[in-house]
Amino acid sequence: MTPDEWALSEATKDRLFALASKGLLLTILIWALFPIYWMVFNSFRTRFEIVGGDPSFTETSFHYQNYIDMWSRVDLIEYFMNSLIIASVTTAIALCIACLGGYAFSRYRFPGRRYVGASLIGTQLIPGILILLPMFMLFRTFHDTVGVQLINTYQGIIFVYTTFAVPFAIWMLRGFFDTIPASLEEAARVDGCTRFQALVRIVLPLAAPGIAATGMFVFLVAFNEVLFASVMARGDVTPLSIGIQQFMERDQNYWGEMMAASTVATVPILLLFVLFQKPIVKGLTEGGVKQ
Amino acid sequence: MASAFTRLHERVTDGGLGQYLPLYGRLDEKHQYAYKLLFPALAMMFVVHFIPVVWGATISVMGVNSNYIADWTSAPFVGLEHYAFVMDPTTTIGSRYWYSISRTVLWSVGVLVGTYVLGLTAALLLNQEFKGSFFVRTLLLLPWIAPAIVTLNVWRMMFLSESGIINHALMSIGLIDEPMFWLLGDQALWSMTIAHVWLQFPWVMIMLYAGLQSIPQQLYEAAAIDGAGRWGKFRYVTLPQLKPVSGVVVLLMLLWTMIDFTTPYVMFGGSPPSSVEVTMVYIYNFSFRAFAFGRGAAMSVGLFVVAMVLATIYYRRFIRSDFEEETQ
Repeated sequence: MTPDEWALSEATKDRLFALASKGLLLTILIWALFPIYWMVFNSFRTRFEIVGGDPSFTETSFHYQNYIDMWSRVDLIEYFMNSLIIASVTTAIALCIACLGGYAFSRYRFPGRRYVGASLIGTQLIPGILILLPMFMLFRTFHDTVGVQLINTYQGIIFVYTTFAVPFAIWMLRGFFDTIPASLEEAARVDGCTRFQALVRIVLPLAAPGIAATGMFVFLVAFNEVLFASVMARGDVTPLSIGIQQFMERDQNYWGEMMAASTVATVPILLLFVLFQKPIVKGLTEGGVKQ
Repeated sequence: MASAFTRLHERVTDGGLGQYLPLYGRLDEKHQYAYKLLFPALAMMFVVHFIPVVWGATISVMGVNSNYIADWTSAPFVGLEHYAFVMDPTTTIGSRYWYSISRTVLWSVGVLVGTYVLGLTAALLLNQEFKGSFFVRTLLLLPWIAPAIVTLNVWRMMFLSESGIINHALMSIGLIDEPMFWLLGDQALWSMTIAHVWLQFPWVMIMLYAGLQSIPQQLYEAAAIDGAGRWGKFRYVTLPQLKPVSGVVVLLMLLWTMIDFTTPYVMFGGSPPSSVEVTMVYIYNFSFRAFAFGRGAAMSVGLFVVAMVLATIYYRRFIRSDFEEETQ
């Protein structure tokens, strides 16, 4: 055979390429979704099914007991509520502050703008472990002098998480605001709007997808934080990130119950995301690309 | 929420806290307004980032241990003694510190390569418009949206040696003969990398996808006229056009992984195998178990410096030119 006979026609090549792409995409999709499936699936299995015998992909005795027992094994409802309160309040406050900051950063070429931008990025490379102890001491000093307790309280941990989230949130929102033409606000100003009215009535509604995407980001930062939570959010405000580890006891791992608790924690967040996916995905893909 | 936002704006602009910023009086009115808007963010960053970093650096040159924790100011000044001690590779602590840094770098680079390759592949596949692409994009984002504190435990369960699904799958297709210990020894680093790549690749994917979407179609048409095939278009249009967004993605992914605590801590708890004892975990265990806060602070400053040096080199080399063009 000559090489010519080996060569595939353009149309065949295209078809093969399309087929290979679909196959690859399917593989990535399975890799992305399998752990989530595995979590839900195992939440319905007994401990024997999980740790003993052959693991199976589909066979289960539909052991919903996990969903009943998990509440008494650890103070799950308390951890859930704490995480929810901490993460939602953090998101609300951080978004307000970051909207103002991101707007200023996007619209004004003020002196020192480069330094403000550099310090926003600079905060991203501070290891949490470096500021953990000083933060703890700072909060204690605050308690001794002002009399307001910040350690192991909602306000303390929310303050810390908000500040962790704000710099990157400003960075993200500034990218979204940049995509909205300033001429729209100028027109509104001519019609008699104040600067703030122009921001609230023109810019924020147009940036809504970006704000949703940023909100998702902030929520996840607060929900998944472990380091500061392990030191400054104990006792009554212990969040799920710390509390869920209690399913792992020294001699016994309650995998089934842990997976049930994990499913209960994940499903609302996934539902929320799927419900608001249009704005969030739109926001993530449109504005975030600006540096 | 809306009224809270309005009140915040009023507080910030009328209360005029911005005026306490240095050189405020020399700005014109418009720029004063900008600083007023930025004030809450800057003030919080000052309290939570700036002061503790300076404080941490101060502790690192003082002999703070459990005796002095209540009154750290009376701890003796020891200069650079802690630094000399923790960076001395001949002591146990020093050698473990260096080892933890090498594990951190290995882990970060592994995660970076993994997330970038996977993220770019997924982004390129998504970029070929097809029916249901929006749906697929949403599904691919789920690993990033699902809370890491629970999904990392799922990975831990999948990596179990006797009953884990991964060993079972590998054995049933004949890649290994007997169960591997994924959560012990050197393999633990692989497990942690795989789990972290799974968590983070959707973010890289969505950033690169956004970059792909913003490439003008004309460039591809021009390349086609010049006779570029699929590979040529990728090599000479897609990759160069992705450079600015890749720069940011690579930098942030590297830094975020270097200072990540959630993944090692959730997957391996308080006493991890040494192959995954990354610097964050090592310092955490060291300073809070031995109450050697001064030495711990010196180690943290070391990690911060490593991150800063890497970031600065990288920024100078890959990002600055793009950024400056854009800010001019």
